[in-house]
Amino acid sequence: MTAQSPLGKVGTSIATKQLEKFGQETKGVTSAVLLTNDGFQVASLHLNDESASKLAAMGSSLAAIGQAIAKEASLKECSRMIVESETGVVTVMEVRGVSPPMSLAVVANDASILGQLLWASKECCRSLAEQLSRK
Amino acid sequence: MNAVASNEFKILFTGPMGAGKTTAISAISDHEAVSTDVINTDLAQCNKELTTAALDYGQILLPDNSCVRLYGTPGQERFRFMWPILLNNAAGVIVLLNGEHPELLEHLEHYVDAFGAGKVPMVVGVGRLPPEDLSRLETLAMRLEERGIALPIFDADVRQQDDVLLLVDALLCQIEADDCRSLEA
Repeated sequence: MTAQSPLGKVGTSIATKQLEKFGQETKGVTSAVLLTNDGFQVASLHLNDESASKLAAMGSSLAAIGQAIAKEASLKECSRMIVESETGVVTVMEVRGVSPPMSLAVVANDASILGQLLWASKECCRSLAEQLSRK
Repeated sequence: MNAVASNEFKILFTGPMGAGKTTAISAISDHEAVSTDVINTDLAQCNKELTTAALDYGQILLPDNSCVRLYGTPGQERFRFMWPILLNNAAGVIVLLNGEHPELLEHLEHYVDAFGAGKVPMVVGVGRLPPEDLSRLETLAMRLEERGIALPIFDADVRQQDDVLLLVDALLCQIEADDCRSLEA
């Protein structure tokens, strides 16, 4: 079952354009999904519907586990999770200040530079929050 | 699938969204349960504020000093990838169902099949049943019987510690009986 995008058509279109811009400007990005924290895709980049849905669900689980671990370790809220492998990385980053709560999951290959990727993802999240709260 | 150690069991709570898996684990855990609750945006499927996105975790120490580690799965199909991860090394499974749900029978079969009834000890707990009317439990038992599956099915209010402990006890009895059978074999 797929819930309707909580952002509606306008919000989804804004998010899709922002992901496209992020993908074009950031080295190594192979795909990305903006997801609700309960695991639904809102907008995606370079993914078919099935893959985007799967990454959205997995990304939300990862973000939730990150929050639980941070809480258990008496840390402040977990703002991002990073899965590193020899051939690339997956990051899941919170989009602050949006309703419903959302995160951005990004898959990048080994051409990516982690610091650059994280900075660009953070900027993408900031921009998404700004545009979505304006609409 | 074996328990991790003879005095330590991992058991798994599963079932559809809204069946009370998080509530059940919180009701009996010796310490504050770890939950991965997030805001639920799918109010059409289940009208509740929060939903589990990854897992629940709690533990209880039994009078014989056995430690039972309690894991809960997310219920929704989109989180199915978590199910085998959580099922790994589980000694048994408790399937929780919402007795009010129109698709109660489908839910029973779906979760019993997904978590390998017959291969792993399993009990079923059904909540929100009409008082004094256990006909739905009989219907569930008959449906399983038609398929050659025999599982203990209980009326259980997951908010009540005793009800949840009864489910755990019943499951541990099954696990023990299975262990005895495998020793005799």
